[in-house]
This record gives sequence, structure tokens and C-alpha cells, in this order.
Amino acid sequence: MLEINALRKSFGGKPALRGLSFSIGKGEIHGLLGHNGAGKSTTLGIILGMVMADSGEVTIDGISVSSHRSQALRKVGAIFEAPAFYDYLSGWENLRILMGYSGGFDATAAQKTVEEVGLTQRIHSKVRTYSHGMRQRLALAQALLPEPNLLLLDEPTDGLDPEGIKWFRDFILNLRDSRGMTVLFNSHLLAEVELMCDRVTILRQGELVFEGAIDGLCEETDRFTADLDCWEKAMPVILSLGGNMAAPGIIQIPHGSDPSILLAALVQAGIKLRSFSPVRRSLEDVYMELLEGKKM
Amino acid sequence: MLFLQQLRGELQKLLARPRTWIGYGAFLIMEALILFVYKLERSQQHMRGIIERNGLEFGNYYSSLTITFTIMLLSMFLLGSIYFALVAGDIVAKENEDGNLRMVFSRPISRLRLLLVKYTAVSLYTFSFVFFVGITGYLMAVAAVGWQGGLFVMEPKMKVFAAYPEWWEGASRLTLSAAGIGLSMITLSSIAFMFSCLKIKPAAATIVTLTILFVDMILQNFPFFKPYESFFITWRMSSWIFLMEQNIPWPKLTESYALLGGFNITLFVIGWTSFQLRDFKT
Repeated sequence: MLEINALRKSFGGKPALRGLSFSIGKGEIHGLLGHNGAGKSTTLGIILGMVMADSGEVTIDGISVSSHRSQALRKVGAIFEAPAFYDYLSGWENLRILMGYSGGFDATAAQKTVEEVGLTQRIHSKVRTYSHGMRQRLALAQALLPEPNLLLLDEPTDGLDPEGIKWFRDFILNLRDSRGMTVLFNSHLLAEVELMCDRVTILRQGELVFEGAIDGLCEETDRFTADLDCWEKAMPVILSLGGNMAAPGIIQIPHGSDPSILLAALVQAGIKLRSFSPVRRSLEDVYMELLEGKKM
Repeated sequence: MLFLQQLRGELQKLLARPRTWIGYGAFLIMEALILFVYKLERSQQHMRGIIERNGLEFGNYYSSLTITFTIMLLSMFLLGSIYFALVAGDIVAKENEDGNLRMVFSRPISRLRLLLVKYTAVSLYTFSFVFFVGITGYLMAVAAVGWQGGLFVMEPKMKVFAAYPEWWEGASRLTLSAAGIGLSMITLSSIAFMFSCLKIKPAAATIVTLTILFVDMILQNFPFFKPYESFFITWRMSSWIFLMEQNIPWPKLTESYALLGGFNITLFVIGWTSFQLRDFKT
């Protein structure tokens, strides 16, 4: 659905992106992570054709954004942090104007979308009277009106209360499940990314640090949570294979070794295993580790 | 069709902003003040002197048409220019400053088309504003002195003098001149529009435009530049007054408006080039 290939961009001689490449498959919710200045917003800007890349290419459904921007963005919606609407107009008028830039305004479709995002009661009020949460709902409505296949979300839950964040998350997950929508989600809220995204791309100073599935990223390969009937009998087996008990109930094996060998040895020693699974770290731990690890 | 829908949206935005209406309000107040002055005995004596010195009958030419002409002559370049520069200077730069352009750029509209929509909206605003001033000025003048009478025109700087004793003749010339002023003022809006497309604050676009206008006017009035007055943009913009001459000098008018048109296109292209090459960060 979205292909980013060898993007380079500098601002005033300072590199913002250094040959960034990654791709997002259809129906995927993909997180874009990185510290401030990592190049996330620049990447989104290039995807939307707001920022010109020095080199490299972005394609949406196989259509190049740099050479056929209008065609490429026809089925794309975007939401930005603190969306700036025309405050002196109503939500409805804002939708009408913005859809005018997208190929035309369909009042019936707009009404349906407004109902979907739960803004029916206030859609004809001036936007200046909206709360932050209502603005985000309006932003969601304007992003959904072109019936997008790809949704770009730039810090969409910033400033929302926990209830608003949950509503937004559920809404996006439902969009993926019901319409097969592809979502690129740029956020600092790592817990949200962990709950929503299938895969993540982590950037540091314009470079790719990691791209892959969250599950694989958060699961450790050398620490396992084990539930077994007798630790006294198990410890000699664990120690004989170079492992140890990292914490109560957690076995650490030598880096790179195969956990199935330990499992076989435990079973052979007559130890009953009720469960054995990789330790799962939070995305925040992994994120900090990856970025700090790169620094060293 | 889509262009018209986009233009409608642009005009809706333009007219929903309070600052767009400041100009309308200011002109209504100014027109009321001018009419008040015209009703003063001393002012009428002054007008009587001018009209009768030219061998014309004061009763016929001290009319709503003459007052409307005077309002437009005196006010458009000095007061009108402020509001045209304000609106055109805001139209792109303000949306960039407020962050609205981010939302627009997430849409599949090209930058050229966006600017064409905005430029058309600004031009329509400018053109229609002149007619607003003319119509409201005339209606107020009618309320003050009645609708009858001809039109007396005297503009010493551009050396135009004309008298139209019949109402319909004066009214049609006044309408024609309003169209001419409207076209002339589009050049001022074009200057502000070009600056609005650059990476500057909206207020800066307005101030720089007015500076250019006033410097051009000041220099044009220097005796040294008298032989070169036709090189000044404000002189070309004043060409509308030739529409008031008994025999309209069409070649002179065509030359001026062709130059202004070319200047407007050049300004648009400069603004568009700058806008097209800019990065807009999310």
C-alpha cells in the first residue's frame, strides 16, 4: 500500500532523513516512532507532498507522490496534532470546503460520517466553540470523507482525555477490521502504539533503527517465564546448560542458544512444565533500549 | 464545476472573517462623513464656484452622481488600498500561519490550482468592493440630494474634464469608471497576493504592499519624474479616469490595462513559483 524508498531530505544542510526505506502492507496499522527531530513529521510531509524529498520516492498503491501527487492522494486521509480548522466557520462548512479540495462534497456521505464520529449534535456550531476532543472527531470526519484506503495519523491522541484516547483507538481498530484500512500512526504514546499497531518503524536522527512486528520486537529471545513443579530439581539442569534464574520464575539462557534444548532437558529430568513463554517487555523498554543502544 | 465549488468555499472563508468587513464598515462611515461635509453651506459654495467657473449650471451638476464620483476618486487609492492589501496579504500567509494549509495539503489539490482559486477570490472581492462603494455612496447621496442631475468630472492631475448633463449618461460613465477602478485595484491586490505567497507573516505582506504603493505615488509626484510618470504603476492604475473623457481614448486605456494585466500575471507567477518550491512542514 505505502512504499517509502531511500528518502533523503536536508533542511539548511542539516540532514533530516538519511535514506529512509520502509513499507506498509494493506490493512496494516503501522507505528512510526522516534524522538523529536527523528524525522517522523518530515516523513509524513513527504508522503503528503508537502515537503519535497532531496532524493528517494514515496508510492501509494504504486503511484508516485512526487510525480502524480493528486492521483496518489485521492484515497488518502490525514489527521494532524491540534488540527487547524477555520474556526470562524461551522464544522459542516469546514467539511464542505475541505471536501471541495478532494473532488467534491457529498452531503449524504458527510452526514453519515458525522454520525459515525459522533458529532451530529454540534456539526453546525462554529468550530471555535469545539473542545479538543470534538476537533479531533471533526478531523477524523474530514479524513474519512474521501473514503480513504490509507489513513495518516500524526499525534492524533495528543491532548485527549483517557476516554477520548480509548474511543479513538477503538474507532481506528474498527476501521481496519471493517474496511481493511491501512493506517500509519505517528505517536509519542508508546502504550497506544503497542495496543494499536501490528508493526513499527523506529527512527533516530533520520535513520531507520528498527522495522518489524511489535510481537517479535517485544519478545525476548533469552529470558523465559516458566511455571514448573519443582525448582530445586530444575536448577541443576538449567545451570548445566549455562543458564540461570534471572528473577523468581524467570529463566535466562545463554544468548543465542536454542530454548528447545533446555525444554527437552527439563522434561527428560522428569520436571513437569505447566507453561514456558518468552518474557514480554513493554514497547517503551524496547524503544529506549534500541535508541540508546544505537547511541553507543 | 469543481473550480466553482472551490471558489465558493474560498469566498465563504473570505466573507466569514470579521476583518473582511472592516473595510465595508469604514467606507460606509467615510461616505456618511463626506455627505455631511457636502451638506455644509461652505462646501456647497466651494462646489458652486468650481462648477460655475466652468460655465455649468450648479443646480444640475451638484448631484448624487457627482458626489459619488468624488467619493470614489478621493477614497479608493488611499483608503481602499489598505483593505485590498489587508485581505490579499492575508489570503495565503494567514492560512499558513494558522496551520490551515496543512489540512488543505492533505487533499489532492495542486498548489497551482489552490493559488488560482485564492487569486480569483481576491480579484472578485476587490472588483466587487469598488461597486459596493459606488452603490452605497450613490444611495447615500440620493438620500441627501435626490437622484436627479448630471455628472461633473474634474481631475486636474490626469487632465480630465467632462460634464454629462443627462442622468443616464452620467450614470453609465460612472458604472464604467467603477469597472475601471476595480480592474486597476486588482493590481494592488496582486502585489499583496504575491507577498502572501512568500514565506512571510501576513502583516508583513500587507505593510510591504502599502509601502510599494505609497512610494510609487510619492515618487510619481516628484517634479523630476514628471516626464516618466507613465512608468509608475500608480499612474497606470489611475488610467480609469480616461473612461470619463467625452471621447474615450481606447488605445491609451488598452495600453495601460494590458500593462497592468501583464504585471498581474508576472506577480502571480512569482508568487506561485515561490509557493511551489516551498516545504510546508506538518
